[in-house]
Amino acid sequence: MTEQPTATGDRHRVRSLASAALLLAALLALPAPMLVVPARAEIATQYQLETDLTCQCGCGLTVHSCNHLNCGSGIPLKKEIAEHIAAGETREQILAHFQTKYGEKILSSPTTTGFNIAAWTVPFVAIALGGLLIGVVLVRWRRSTDAGETPSRTGDPAPSDDPALRARLERELDDLERRS
Amino acid sequence: MSEIGRLAIILGFLVALWGIAASVLGAVRRDARLIDSGKHAAYAFSALTGIAVLALLYLLLTRDFNVEYVASYSSSTLPIWYTISALWGGMKGSLLWWTFILAVCNAVVQVQNHDKNRDQMPWVTATMLVVGAFFLSLLVFITDPFERLPFTPREGSDLNPLLQNYWMTIHPPSLYVGFVSTTVPFAFAIAALATGKLGDAWIRTTRRWALFSWFFLSLGNLFGAAWAYVVLGWGGYWAWDPVENAAFMPWLTATAYLHSVMIQEKKDMLKVWNMALVILTFALTIFGTFLTRSGVISSVHSFTQSGMGPFFMYFLIAILVISIGMLVWRLPLLKSRNELESVFSREAAFLLNNLILVGIAFTVFWGTIFPVISEWVRGVKITVGPPFFNKVNAPLGIALVFLMGVGPVIAWRKASAASLWRSFATPMGTGVVAGALAFVLGARNFYAVVAISVATFALATVWIEFWRGMRVRQAMMGEKPWTALSRLIGKNRRRYGGYIVHVGVVMIFMGIVASSVFKLEVQRSLHVGDSIEIGGYTVRYDGIAIENDDHVERTFARVSVWDGYGPEAVRVGEVLPEKRFYKKPKQPTTEVSIWSTLGEDLYVVLGSYDPPTQLAVFQVFVNPLISWMWIGGLVLTIGTGVCMWPSYAERPATATARVPAGSRPA
Repeated sequence: MTEQPTATGDRHRVRSLASAALLLAALLALPAPMLVVPARAEIATQYQLETDLTCQCGCGLTVHSCNHLNCGSGIPLKKEIAEHIAAGETREQILAHFQTKYGEKILSSPTTTGFNIAAWTVPFVAIALGGLLIGVVLVRWRRSTDAGETPSRTGDPAPSDDPALRARLERELDDLERRS
Repeated sequence: MSEIGRLAIILGFLVALWGIAASVLGAVRRDARLIDSGKHAAYAFSALTGIAVLALLYLLLTRDFNVEYVASYSSSTLPIWYTISALWGGMKGSLLWWTFILAVCNAVVQVQNHDKNRDQMPWVTATMLVVGAFFLSLLVFITDPFERLPFTPREGSDLNPLLQNYWMTIHPPSLYVGFVSTTVPFAFAIAALATGKLGDAWIRTTRRWALFSWFFLSLGNLFGAAWAYVVLGWGGYWAWDPVENAAFMPWLTATAYLHSVMIQEKKDMLKVWNMALVILTFALTIFGTFLTRSGVISSVHSFTQSGMGPFFMYFLIAILVISIGMLVWRLPLLKSRNELESVFSREAAFLLNNLILVGIAFTVFWGTIFPVISEWVRGVKITVGPPFFNKVNAPLGIALVFLMGVGPVIAWRKASAASLWRSFATPMGTGVVAGALAFVLGARNFYAVVAISVATFALATVWIEFWRGMRVRQAMMGEKPWTALSRLIGKNRRRYGGYIVHVGVVMIFMGIVASSVFKLEVQRSLHVGDSIEIGGYTVRYDGIAIENDDHVERTFARVSVWDGYGPEAVRVGEVLPEKRFYKKPKQPTTEVSIWSTLGEDLYVVLGSYDPPTQLAVFQVFVNPLISWMWIGGLVLTIGTGVCMWPSYAERPATATARVPAGSRPA
């Protein structure tokens, strides 16, 4: 015998799912800050630092990617990075040096301090708010559907109250959907 | 000829103004003669912009260097194919080209609707002519493509050498067609708002146009990536440059619209949201045009900075204010059914898909304008480069591909636990196995493993859908496998075409993931006979050759490609990376050479070269699965073709929707 879902049970499920959707949005948001916080003990490598810095020749690429012929910026920067690594400096120290020398614009990504935090967080906050909005909208639509507030399309037959018929209809529609 | 071109754009501008006035007055007064006059103005506008384009093309082909545009973007030695592409190689020509594509779209819309949508068409005509008049006004009053110089230079400055590439001859036209054709759904949306006829008619009328512009935006972006890959020589294809972002954003919102519009068609929901997406997509195309021509954000792709930025900004503001104002005005008429039986349904999955797509579009927008915001707020210039976009968009992209797997198979209305299990158990299992296999084979990047798993899941759902549908037909109709498959697709082209498009997008996604995470690269100085071993290949430098003509001097290295290392290596071919030196303008460029297979690209760049010693610096990349991106583009094209091909069921519906010619608007 098929057990019929109750309106309360459905609402509970909807709330659980709305919270799950929020959790999903939060989980998606997690990797960004995790990825941008630099590990202090991290050993600086040439590749990482070349990727952390933007070439100043105007190509818009990172120092690593810029391979312009005799680039007046990329080639000296690569050499300078190598010298700092050879001197045993950490990634943070080297980045601080370049930031002092060329200004913040040399960093290929915004820092994670002060106003720049907004660059990293606003997209995920916006998506989380969008997820919240969708959750609220879904709950409202679900409630209005339960309460039968939305009129059926003209000509639609009235839904049957017979649980057995309804269950059969569900099964057949499900099967049809699967087959079509 | 320049006088004819100049006259054509002036007349085109005046005709557009008349067409706008006649169409709006005709619609308000219900005057069929004025409406017809507006329609004729649209045809005249198309003809006049066509004449202007032909005039500029003639001037380019006849090398009339007295015309400033011809002198700036061509030369007597420029090959004819690139001379034609110079038509859109400069700012003035690109604006004229944009207007011409819009005029062609307008003419096609007039022909398609000559006996349909009679209430809406005057507003459609007026909206499209407003956009056309704006672009022509720039050419008439600010930047004349037919401007003559006080003297005639002996030689032209030539087209930028970076644009002298096959992909650049097809990338801008594709992107422009994608950009400009978004005007059609936008114009029908405005017409629906103006007339208050906000049912599904405008959506059904513009369905193919929306798909058409989405398709060309896809192609435009892919062709642009291909150009960057073969021309810029840094081993990649996408650098999150502001102009690349400007082309990507409307693609994202158009993709969101193509999905959410299905909910409106099937469930009569999301009317306001769909209208907003159409407006947003069109506004983003204008925003992209503003970015490339304003100089507000620095970009390697920008045209020369001009004084046109403010005009595009005002136009963009006007579009947003008017269209959002009309949307708010019509909100009471845009009430939807808003029924939802279960959050486990395709409706809910599509909403999540829209959230992610618009979320990515917002993220890209935010990253693009953040340097400007930072400068306003802090007075400090900062860079928002590829590492930012990659980090922020990676989780969103994976979530999107996961939903690509969920959306097609989850049931409309409500999916039971049993049907969810039936639909997803096998694809989920396949995805998990693929991820585990990637890990066992050495993939240690978290995102890469998850991406491979999710992409396999999405492919598996599509595969099972085709397999199951085919088997049902075989069982019920007794058809052979290929017959069953072709009829399955033929009977529901939109659905199965969509699945094929998904396969193409997943292939592109896999290409992006693999080439980003598993890329190998090495840079080394080599004497003739030296070799580099990388990614299972041996690359041997065999010598240098030089070719010279009036246009360009080519220095190319002969590099043999060997499969394997050491004595067991087998020679499989040769690549010829080049250094070019263009003579007008005097500019060196790098031409990469690629040994491409289905699994990977061996990408060889000739860095620098010392003639006396023949010592050459090579940069060699092994980029996995790059060809999947281009094959994915081909699959996407096939899928879009299947979707757009009219089904038998649609043909009588179109015929019955027609109103007898000559009938007056209600």
